Amino acid sequence: MTSVAADLTEVRAAAELLGFALARRARPVEGGQYRALLDRYRSELRFRDVVDTMAEGLGLEVLGTPRSGLVLAPDPAGPFATRLGDLRSTMDADDRLVFGLVLIGIAAYAYPTDADFDDPETKLVEVATIDGFIRAALGTLGSLAGVEGSAEERARAAAQVYADLPQLITTQTGRRARGCTLKAVEDVCGWLVEQGAAREAASLGPDTFHLTDRFRLLVADSAGGGALDALRDLRREDVP
Amino acid sequence: MTGAYGGVVSPAADASARDRWRALALTDPVSRLVRNAAHAGIDDDEYDLRLLALAAVDIVVGSMGFAREATLDDVVDELAGLAARMAPHRPDQARDVAQTVVRGLLNDAHEQRRFTYRFADLGAPGEPARWEAYSFRLLSLREAEYGPVLVASDQAVTLFLHGLDVDLEDADRALAHVLQRQLDDRRFDAAARTAAQAERTSVGMSAMLAELLDATRRDVGSHDWEREVPERLLRARRHVESRIAEDDRLLEHVQGGLDAETSPEVRAVSGRIVDLLGRARQVHLDLERRLVGAREVFLSAQVRQRLARRRRLRMLALREELLLPVLELPRAEAALVASAFADRALGVSVPRLVRFDDLVDALWAPPRAREAAEPEIELVPDVDVSDDVQRYPEQVVAAAREVLGAAADGEVRLSELLAAVPDGPDAAEVTELVLLSALWAFAPDVAAEAEGEVAAEVDVLAGGIEAERADELLDVPGVGGPDLVVRLRGGATGATETPAEPADVLFVDVYGDAYSRETVS
Repeated sequence: MTSVAADLTEVRAAAELLGFALARRARPVEGGQYRALLDRYRSELRFRDVVDTMAEGLGLEVLGTPRSGLVLAPDPAGPFATRLGDLRSTMDADDRLVFGLVLIGIAAYAYPTDADFDDPETKLVEVATIDGFIRAALGTLGSLAGVEGSAEERARAAAQVYADLPQLITTQTGRRARGCTLKAVEDVCGWLVEQGAAREAASLGPDTFHLTDRFRLLVADSAGGGALDALRDLRREDVP
Repeated sequence: MTGAYGGVVSPAADASARDRWRALALTDPVSRLVRNAAHAGIDDDEYDLRLLALAAVDIVVGSMGFAREATLDDVVDELAGLAARMAPHRPDQARDVAQTVVRGLLNDAHEQRRFTYRFADLGAPGEPARWEAYSFRLLSLREAEYGPVLVASDQAVTLFLHGLDVDLEDADRALAHVLQRQLDDRRFDAAARTAAQAERTSVGMSAMLAELLDATRRDVGSHDWEREVPERLLRARRHVESRIAEDDRLLEHVQGGLDAETSPEVRAVSGRIVDLLGRARQVHLDLERRLVGAREVFLSAQVRQRLARRRRLRMLALREELLLPVLELPRAEAALVASAFADRALGVSVPRLVRFDDLVDALWAPPRAREAAEPEIELVPDVDVSDDVQRYPEQVVAAAREVLGAAADGEVRLSELLAAVPDGPDAAEVTELVLLSALWAFAPDVAAEAEGEVAAEVDVLAGGIEAERADELLDVPGVGGPDLVVRLRGGATGATETPAEPADVLFVDVYGDAYSRETVS
């Protein structure tokens, strides 16, 4: 942060840019104000400082500026952080374990190597493939070493719950019913879509999703952990 | 001597073997997708998948660098259209075919990795071969501001656009001739290139203008019509003006050459340039039409939006001018007004963002350890403390527990319990908690309990007690309704009454004491 006083019009523009970034639906289309501000952020060091400083004050951090717009991550204590209550409110402990496992599974499946974090190519995932990938990895997750309460122990527990769930239960109308792992993966994908971290790729068939730059940057920002590392190792063996 | 064949064949063949091998490898993904399509039930006899693959690359390349690149949906739609024309009797399959082609070019079978082929560098005779990997992409997906777009790799552009653009029947003679002619009289070549460049600029401007006008129709304030937009329009108008004149001049020139020239090769090239110019001219005329109407769009949007400008709420008499008319409206229209009102009236809502690690940590947080139940007060198996500001502080829960403990000795009136709340700084909160617990004991909300939507303290405190209605009314500030008789669950038996809806019985001012003191008078 510099001690130079910022121009008020600059501050206003910075706030406007953060506003665009917070509204997930906003897209920096050519000729639009969002695009102009985004380009300014990319090219003008001083403006960038103002935006970053303002974001910091709001409890936000700028993770990156892909073409789809400014990607922000919240300070866990700040007003923008997602609380568990913002997820589906009827989740019990097992649901949460599975949700976390699927999230990690998708991340590991899409970005096995560090180079993937810098590759702007959009990854495609399918519900059934993710389920298969996680199922194949359950053994490895089950053998992670870690004491009671550690992340590794939670991963073991999550793997256990996942292993005990059936792959598919259908409702009377033929859709996937809650309580099976395919539905769990579908739910997480749906949630990612809500977050702007994925989009449905309906033109490539049902159950197919693109992971957006937002998701890539979110995962790249992660410090990893036993479960994520183990799954990424496994995935690297799949794709040399 | 080293080289691909190790000098066995001929130095010339050797020198270019690697490059030619690469060109060969580049077409393999297409062959592979044709082979794989058979497994997907797509008949190679019914569809020309190679042409569709070429078309996909063409569509993608055709839009690269423009204001709007081809999105995945665009390409799939376009290919589906082409596929439908190949097999008109199978309209249901066209989309599958399009998807198969795009997936094949993306190398979806191998998670969109690069296509990789191994080249055997044979080196000197007698030496073992050195294997060398060659990997490339054809198409790849990128995220643009309007969704996923397809991008073609350099290899795809080079091979599919230029490398295969050869008249195989008589390529040598024709090419040489055309080239010779273009070199003799540089104008055609240069003119064609300039025209193509101008067409691209115009298409870009056209897209920009369309976007701007759309935005203006939605909101006049979205663009600066005072200074910025007129400048842009002026620039676009100048461009179009010069291009339209130029297009005509060029057309005339080429047309003149076409009439005078007799050699069929030149006629063919000229024909192509005439086509190109004709297209460019169309784009320019379109752009001109848009430019002419632009100001009009702004003016009419301004009039419309100025008239429809929303009024401030304070200028309305809410009851007469808003509530009563809305109540008389049919449901759909009422909902429109009500939601517009609610959107403004509800104030700020905070969008929630995630951070990967924090989310996983929260999801995988170990369950809270349960304390052993305290034997003398069955009402309290577990109080978990967390720093949630919505929770009652520990001492309030303890005080409420003590008050409710009176029920262990037999039946007790809610009014007596409330009277027994000790004075102190927490008195208001303790009163509220005792009230809520008694109300909960009277009519537990089983559904909410199952979903974990009940404040933990209330659940815990009321877990061991039950309550039923008494005849007298409560006389406590902020609370209305009949008094309740509270006792330990399964304690003294009274006549069992069907629990009524809590709202019928007891009104608790949950906004807290301060609020009720001020408003209840």
